[in-house]
Amino acid sequence: MLRAIAITRRFGRTLALDGVDFEAIPGEIHALVGENGAGKTTLMNVLAGWLVPDHGEALLDGRALQAGSPRAALAAGIAAVHQSPMLFERMRWEENLALGGFDTGAGADALDLAAVAARARSLAAKLGFELPPAGATVENLSVAERVRLEVLRALSFNPRVLILDEPTSVLAPSQLSAFLDLLRNLRGEGRIVVLITHKLAEAIAVADRITVLRRGRVAARTTPAETSEEKLAGLMIGEIVTQPDASAARPHPGGPVLHVENLTLDDRTGRRILDRLSFRVAAGEIVGLAGVDGNGQTELVELLAGVRHPGSGKVTLHDGSSRAMAVIPQNRDLDGLILDMRLWENLMLARPIREQVTSHGWLNSWRASDLCRELIERFRIRAPGPETIAGALSGGNRQRLEVARAIASRPRLIVAHNICRGLDLAATAEVHRTLLEFTAAGGAVLLVSSDLDELLAICGRLLIISRGKIRETNPGDRDPQRLGLLMAGAGD
Amino acid sequence: MLSAVAKPFAALALAAALISVVLAALGASPAGVFAALGEGAFGSWYACVDTIVKSTPLVFTGLAISLAFSGALWNIGADGQLTIGAIAAGAVGPHLADFPHSIAIVTILAAGALGGAAWGGLAGWLRARRDVNEVISTIMLNFVAVQALSWVVHGPLMEPSRAYPTSSPIASAAQLEFYFAPSRLNLGMLLAVALAAACYLLLFRTGTGFELRAMGRNRRAATFFGVRIPALTVWAMAVSGALAGLGGAVQVSAISHRLYEKLSPGWGFEAIAVALVARLNPLAIVPAALLFGALDNGSQAMQRTQGISPELVQVIQGLVILIILAFDTPAWSGLREQIFGASSEEAAAVPPVAEMPDA
Repeated sequence: MLRAIAITRRFGRTLALDGVDFEAIPGEIHALVGENGAGKTTLMNVLAGWLVPDHGEALLDGRALQAGSPRAALAAGIAAVHQSPMLFERMRWEENLALGGFDTGAGADALDLAAVAARARSLAAKLGFELPPAGATVENLSVAERVRLEVLRALSFNPRVLILDEPTSVLAPSQLSAFLDLLRNLRGEGRIVVLITHKLAEAIAVADRITVLRRGRVAARTTPAETSEEKLAGLMIGEIVTQPDASAARPHPGGPVLHVENLTLDDRTGRRILDRLSFRVAAGEIVGLAGVDGNGQTELVELLAGVRHPGSGKVTLHDGSSRAMAVIPQNRDLDGLILDMRLWENLMLARPIREQVTSHGWLNSWRASDLCRELIERFRIRAPGPETIAGALSGGNRQRLEVARAIASRPRLIVAHNICRGLDLAATAEVHRTLLEFTAAGGAVLLVSSDLDELLAICGRLLIISRGKIRETNPGDRDPQRLGLLMAGAGD
Repeated sequence: MLSAVAKPFAALALAAALISVVLAALGASPAGVFAALGEGAFGSWYACVDTIVKSTPLVFTGLAISLAFSGALWNIGADGQLTIGAIAAGAVGPHLADFPHSIAIVTILAAGALGGAAWGGLAGWLRARRDVNEVISTIMLNFVAVQALSWVVHGPLMEPSRAYPTSSPIASAAQLEFYFAPSRLNLGMLLAVALAAACYLLLFRTGTGFELRAMGRNRRAATFFGVRIPALTVWAMAVSGALAGLGGAVQVSAISHRLYEKLSPGWGFEAIAVALVARLNPLAIVPAALLFGALDNGSQAMQRTQGISPELVQVIQGLVILIILAFDTPAWSGLREQIFGASSEEAAAVPPVAEMPDA
């Protein structure tokens, strides 16, 4: 039995965990649900030996775990899959897996990558995963591929306790059921599975017990039979979130803003990433681009942002200048923010804001601070002030900062990629409301996401990207199952 | 928690304590040795001036390092850039006799800056266009610069009598004069201090400086938001090289007045330590360079009066740097990330930062 007793952990002035008790027994899937900042990840980090709690202790089968030692936790049989994959970017995926238990080759010093790959492939086949081509380095993999790698690595340790932090947010709908089956298999083998999630339907579908955290405390312990999504949502946030009304988006879009024609891109090895993409986005509409991660979306966004150049084809912005577009990249910690810089400095990353606060090359940091203070207020970013370091913000507030920066750049088009990933209900609703307001005022949005429900909720038109090709769906076709099949590449 | 200002002093005290133990073990009197060190560095007007003179090249090269490192451009080639700057200054210097003093001075310094800029810019261009790691290219260019200096003083720039491997002396119009001669006090340090202020303004008060720092902290994000990385890389390496080259020109114009082999005792490398101790802050480069200059200068007195080898001063310097770095400055974290390849993503995944809750 895995137990955490009266865990308290403080970060600065913030109480992340306040006397939390938690227990999970062998042969159960225990879901840990809660909002961003509720303390779920902190609890996982304590259990996995990543963090030393201020008070309290973690025990496995009655034996206390050495606090703050991931190695000890792993030796005791606790493996964790982190939300942001902890992989070696510049190494091959096989080498990343070799760090786990896959390398049981002849000598301790002999590293047999072929054997590692073979073991990984056989395990992946059981789980219904596809692995990247041999020798691919992690930096070239999609987010979904990275998470799969990390799950594989954790399983390679043959753990008695597997803790997963939001593992499903990057899986395709078709992969989801296989993944949940995998969790059930692990439970069947008598292991303890702790599933951290904010997708309540998943928790109810797969968990045996559910623990709800709210602001560092246990708000409830329940079982799927006794509860419902609505009840859980209420327990998580303590209030009812009003979903934004998609009908607020203008039914009749205005003039064209973005025009993409025959966009084609090949990678270095000649593999086709984007295949003759053509689409338009008009003023006043939110166009959704749905797809399973790794089907060309990241490259498309990078192309639009000007980070990459297309092999052929054309991107036209009907304002003429590229300044008219603001991009919110999917990986906010890696691409969107500079975590060890201040909030006002992060605002200045956006060129229009940078130009707004510099004159003749000189930076007016007062003006930047004022603007930042204004945005903190307007977008309700929970931060002490403009001088705060971006890395000190929680995920939800980092996302608010990015959205605030995009809006403050006064663009005609916002390209946003997976911006609500990992955000809780309240934060998601807020981001959506901001985008709807932006389009109501005549802006255009291209929302790239792997979350079909999100897109169906707020998008007027829906495009689907699969293997680098785009198809437009019928406006009336809103059947998630059919669309999910299209996302998975059916009908190619 | 020690403040940023107190840290270097605490480190210095700790280094002094360690050195005392070593000295005592060698049978010397720590108090006497440190007194001699202080006496040699600051004991008289001449000692003070010499400390300033010895520190001046370290300020120029330290600024060069801090500017490049701020953009995560690991310029290890300040020594080569200084050398090329000196060669350029030594080459034009003898031909400036007919010019007014002010024009001659501006010309010789500009020659040095241009020479250094070319040398640094070359490494920047290689990085931007051919993706050649600037650590490697700048180290290699150091060797080239040293051999180039050796070649010119034996060849094209050798003095007319061909007796000594030095260049002809520069015209007196191109010399930064000594105030209060025979002390060697000259305008070099004043120029260095002014440049330190200018570098600070550039880094922290201009849009370009912001882009450079953004590139240094998170190259990917900078790319995403339209920072032109290749152009900025070439520019920053060229400016860094120009600062080092200017240091070389000041040395030729004010002190050596001619070129000879091994003109630099390794200022460009010592400057890396200076810049790290100053945590890459241009304003802190000046006191950091003075500290190193004082240790250099004081070592001679120490040797004279206490019979301690000047090598011991290098031991002290090494200890000071190690201890300051052990106090963990941000500059060091940046270098560590570069060396061990920790991405900002991994840094972000460290729980205490990433896990700060909303409330």
